[in-house]
Amino acid sequence: MKHRRWFKAFAVSAVMSVVAAACASDNGGGGGGGGGGGGVDCATVEFGCVEVGADEAINLGAAQVISGADATLGQDQVNALELALDHLDGKFDQKDGTLLDHPVKLTVEDELCSAEGGQTAGTALAADASIVAVVGTSCSSAALGVADKLLGDKGILLISGSNTSPALTDPALHNPFYARTAHNDRIQGAIVAEFALGQDLLAKTAATIADESPYTQGLVGAFEANFEAGGGTLTGSEQVDSEDTDFKPVLRSLAEQKPDVLYFPIFVAACTLIIKQAAEIMPDTTLIVSDGCLSSDTLKNAGKAADGVWASSPDLSAFQTNEFYSGQFIPAYKAAFGSDPLSVFHAHSYDAANVVFDAIKKVAIDNGDGSLSIPRQALRDAVFATSGYQGVTGTITCLPTGDCATDVTIGMFLGPGWPVEGGKGDTTAKYTDTKSLDDVL
Amino acid sequence: MAASRWVRMGAAAGVVTIFLALVGLIGGFTDVYLIGDQITFAGLMLVLPAFAAGLVAAAPRVEGGERHEMRFVEAITAAAVAGAAAGAVFGATMILADVIGVERIRTVFLNVSPQLMEFVTFGQATLVGAVIIVVMSTVAGVLGGALRVAPTSVRRPVTVAVMATLLFGFLQRVIPIALDQLKLERDWLYSVSFDGLTWIGAIVVGAVAAGVSVLKGRFGTQLRGRVAGIRGRTGPAVSPGVLVAGVFALALLIAAPMLLGSVISEVLGTVMVFALLGIGLNIVVGYAGLLDLGYVFFFALGAYSLALLTGATLNAYGIPPDPAISGHLNFYVAIPIVMLIAAAAGVLVGAPVLRLRGDYLALVTLGLGEMVTVLVGSPWLVPLVGGPSGMRGITDAAIGGLAFRDPQRFYYLALAFVGLAAFISWRLATSRIGRAWTAMREDEQTADAMGISTTRFKLLAFSIGGAIGSLGGALFAVKIGSLTPASFQVLVSIQVLGLVILGGMGSIPGVLVGALVLVGLPGLLREFEEYRFLAYGAAVVAVMVLRPQGLVPNVRRSRELQDEERAQDEWAKAAEEGETPPEIATATGATT
Amino acid sequence: MAGTEAPRVEAVRLSRFEQLPWRRIILVILGIIVVGVVGIGATRTLTLGKAEGGYSAGAWRDFVVQGAAQGAIFAMIALGYSLVYGILRMINFAHGEVFMAGSFGSFFFADAYEKSGFLDRDPILALLIVTAVAIGVSVGTAVLLERLAYRPLRNAPRLVPLITAIGASLFLQNTFRGFFGPQPYGYPKPVVLAGNITVLGVPVQRIQLLVLVVAVICMAVLQWFVSTTTTGRSMRAVAQDREIASLMGINVDRVIVTTFAIGGVLAGIAGVLYSLTFEQVQFTMGFKPGIAAFTAAVLGGIGSIGGAALGGFVIGLLQAVGPPLILTGFGIPSVFSLKDAFVFLVLVLVLVFRPGGLLGTGEAEKV
Repeated sequence: MKHRRWFKAFAVSAVMSVVAAACASDNGGGGGGGGGGGGVDCATVEFGCVEVGADEAINLGAAQVISGADATLGQDQVNALELALDHLDGKFDQKDGTLLDHPVKLTVEDELCSAEGGQTAGTALAADASIVAVVGTSCSSAALGVADKLLGDKGILLISGSNTSPALTDPALHNPFYARTAHNDRIQGAIVAEFALGQDLLAKTAATIADESPYTQGLVGAFEANFEAGGGTLTGSEQVDSEDTDFKPVLRSLAEQKPDVLYFPIFVAACTLIIKQAAEIMPDTTLIVSDGCLSSDTLKNAGKAADGVWASSPDLSAFQTNEFYSGQFIPAYKAAFGSDPLSVFHAHSYDAANVVFDAIKKVAIDNGDGSLSIPRQALRDAVFATSGYQGVTGTITCLPTGDCATDVTIGMFLGPGWPVEGGKGDTTAKYTDTKSLDDVL
Repeated sequence: MAASRWVRMGAAAGVVTIFLALVGLIGGFTDVYLIGDQITFAGLMLVLPAFAAGLVAAAPRVEGGERHEMRFVEAITAAAVAGAAAGAVFGATMILADVIGVERIRTVFLNVSPQLMEFVTFGQATLVGAVIIVVMSTVAGVLGGALRVAPTSVRRPVTVAVMATLLFGFLQRVIPIALDQLKLERDWLYSVSFDGLTWIGAIVVGAVAAGVSVLKGRFGTQLRGRVAGIRGRTGPAVSPGVLVAGVFALALLIAAPMLLGSVISEVLGTVMVFALLGIGLNIVVGYAGLLDLGYVFFFALGAYSLALLTGATLNAYGIPPDPAISGHLNFYVAIPIVMLIAAAAGVLVGAPVLRLRGDYLALVTLGLGEMVTVLVGSPWLVPLVGGPSGMRGITDAAIGGLAFRDPQRFYYLALAFVGLAAFISWRLATSRIGRAWTAMREDEQTADAMGISTTRFKLLAFSIGGAIGSLGGALFAVKIGSLTPASFQVLVSIQVLGLVILGGMGSIPGVLVGALVLVGLPGLLREFEEYRFLAYGAAVVAVMVLRPQGLVPNVRRSRELQDEERAQDEWAKAAEEGETPPEIATATGATT
Repeated sequence: MAGTEAPRVEAVRLSRFEQLPWRRIILVILGIIVVGVVGIGATRTLTLGKAEGGYSAGAWRDFVVQGAAQGAIFAMIALGYSLVYGILRMINFAHGEVFMAGSFGSFFFADAYEKSGFLDRDPILALLIVTAVAIGVSVGTAVLLERLAYRPLRNAPRLVPLITAIGASLFLQNTFRGFFGPQPYGYPKPVVLAGNITVLGVPVQRIQLLVLVVAVICMAVLQWFVSTTTTGRSMRAVAQDREIASLMGINVDRVIVTTFAIGGVLAGIAGVLYSLTFEQVQFTMGFKPGIAAFTAAVLGGIGSIGGAALGGFVIGLLQAVGPPLILTGFGIPSVFSLKDAFVFLVLVLVLVFRPGGLLGTGEAEKV
């Protein structure tokens, strides 16, 4: 008797829930209405338009990691975005300029460098109908299948200045509303492999150590593929946990085959330990790391062991000779934020923002009363049509699969001469190469 | 001497304030405004320990088996002394820091910055600042003491009012969104320039909360009696007040997404997934009393099996996108299979280990959780689950054309499953199986001697709990659409355990409350993300030491956890304050 | 009494099926599988040629030394777990953080000494001071834990202090993170400890040798302490029966605090040794060694000093030798990525066959 009553209550609630779900309306997404000329009818075009009222600001979203251990990566890019807003009027005067007579504002969401964080940030931004485009994410794991999908489903362009995972622009996996101005790690991995095989090292055998992050998986995969294609032999491939401290058995195991080169593009804490432990266990093997390890902390903690360790990184000198970057951008950054830029990727985000601004200028419809309508699909198409754009980081030409950093220059730096604070001696790249995606596997 | 006690309490509070400063909870939040532009979170942190010291100093003491209530003057003096002591300790430390030099200290303690010193000295010279702190702490202590000795009819409404106001202040990013969604005016409530509550808003919130509290006190007893009459006798003993609250909460849960918009719904969706996990773990830990520290095992198993059964693809670059084992089933067909797999795994894994003693079981289950984490991220299983890059393309659980990945829709899907799991769990608790579990939990040896096959019942709890956990995992996979091993760390097990405990072991409404507090609040208060686990650890310790039966206790479990004397104390106190104690109402079947 | 007969209990006839000693059968089958897997894996690995990924004798020797050195540190931390468990029947989950606290605390002194050159001028004195600081911080943390989190729960059901310990562990970790930041700090190593030394023809790192020697000395001292001194005997008495020990006039509270303190001393020493070995401290450094040590204590038989010591070395060796020896033979890629899973699997199997741990009685204790 009693149970039947409860069961009825339960059944009613269940039915109510389903009905409620069916009736629940979506939030966000393209607005409707408005729009005069331009040949685009905002009411019917797919994904609609963003309506910017006469006194309203154009809302640029940002999904970056601004808390936790990786905060410097995201904060750096947010800073660069603020500089991009400043430079809208052509000069860095700590006063924002305007775009098409509208101010631009930045809406920042924390993506926590994880898939869950990417979902939260993506949901928040996708729900805001006034967001024109989003610069982000910081970490590939927040974008892969999460933020790129959430925003892409609403037709919001996501353009990243620091995602380097190859999976994001793989033809089978790519979301049409995703692009990036950062390099694709296939290129970095390939150039490292080329360097290893080349005359500086003349390596015939190599071993790799990855960790549990997608970033290293991508780099190591690209390295291995290109190394073997170039005639090298892979003698061992291990994966470790980045929180571990004792890597001696792993290194000893890899040392058995006496590889010429050990490539371990992992992050600072584990990377430092491996540098020190490898110095004792495999002293004759050349060590190579990548930008995940490139930090002053590594040099400080590894000490002498870092001498002779190669590090790959996007070669900043290519645009450090760029007068604009060294003469205006860096001083402006220092003046606004009190320090030098914290990581490499700020410049890529700066370029990403400007690419978006240019696209907005091309496709925004002036409704005649001071308001704008920005069609989402057209904005995306304009960004993907970017070709030969001279950004701070180089030439930007977007491919259909989303990679916009066309010719990527990767430099190899010899420790202790790394291009970070605390780098000693000659901190220029000893080897550089520029490749595009067609050149690599 | 009594005064030395008060001084010691105050000194301890002072140490706590120093701790808060060193950890960064003061310096980092000097610009988070709670009310107006005067009350910041940092300021709150500065005086809260002193307030607590005053509260404790004025509390009635138990001496020689008797309760001594403090007289008003004595209580206020005690509170003032405690508060002053707290302020003195902190002030002295400030002066010491100044003498040693802030920059030198900063090389060790990162958060001792000039900005922090600027804040705690209120921009004055250090000595002046220290004096100000002593005064403020004394006042805070006195307020705490006054609150403690105030009659209940005053204390309750005031406490509720203050807590409600603070809550609204904290949720300054969230409630305005809800108000906007409901098309209500919000500028009177939340300041546009400072993000916190306006003073008017604060007063209104406080007044309303106090009013509700007074009303509840006045009419609560009558309501309780009426509900007790309707409710009947069977089922786990839940006090009528809680029942009313429960019905109200249920209505709120169903209406929430439509009122609050997709951003909050997304957080609530995660809350529901964790609530589901909590219900499952509740069966293992709460009903059967098994120490399971590896619940992430079932969570991951459910998520990945669902992904594989419904045709998700691998993310890793350079390998074929189809997993080694792949099915293309519909979500609703796959779910029972997922649960069956989990139950089977539970039996397989549980059979050898469940006969181990409690602490050993804890370690082994922890190991199981770790094993799963290692395996899903390992190179060995990349062809199956994609390694670190994980999988994507997980079904959106569509029925007909109705997809469930939208935050609001997902919430209802999750809510439906939570309801189902809660129903199963509740029926189990009141069945013979549930009674066997209770017997086992309270005294295993006797239960064994009475013929209850403890191994069999433990296995049952473990697999059913595991099946529900796998359901949670499957839902999680649907919610995010993508899976990476990073989501399946040991921390998940600990979080689920925490919310089960906080809410009250063995109590289903408790699990929901626990999920709301431990998953919902951090999700909504993103600016405190860095301190989430610090608060979490402190909360767990505090709950276990002070109130181990949790926030919404299961009465039977409370009896197990507390001494008889303590329960009797509560009874005596309730009788004293004129409210009919719940036990008595049940026993006599009192109605109004 | 008249009128009452003894109740008649019918003999229950079990079917053939139910009569079989199922548990014994399954254990035997499981045992055969385990031996088979280990045997086949090991044989295949050892017969692998160099080119296919086989290991030389030198590699095995190095694995053993590395495993033993790690194991020594685990053993020292495991002793803390065992001692506390023996007295309180509770797992101090936060012991890993006690270890981390000592290490971190000593870092600032070590760093200062290195900068001033003191560390290399007079390494013995410098290290002694640094270790004293580590011990102080560890003991302080352990005693605080006991006083604030565990003492109020002395009589609570088993689950409660365990969960409190987990909460305390999280709290301590994040406190250190809040105080000192999330980044790793480089711990200095005096020059005299760098490099290798040859012992009985086996090249060993100097620091590894130091770790082994200190660990063995500590365990011997502890064993002597517990069996000979009054305090040690009081500890054993309280471990056996708290009530009666208290009736005999032993101050139980004091003994418990002493136990925590001793665990803290060992953890502090282990912390310094660990930091000297890896030259790095970070707020997360206590978590994994804590779990490994806990595993070691259980594996060896929790509550016994010998068990903790044995368990520590076994875990260390399993981590270093197990994956290459057994998993390589099956062609599993990246065997070391599975080392944690491997260790836990071994733990489960040991507990299945010997529920009390390696040095336990072999019977499942019910209480």
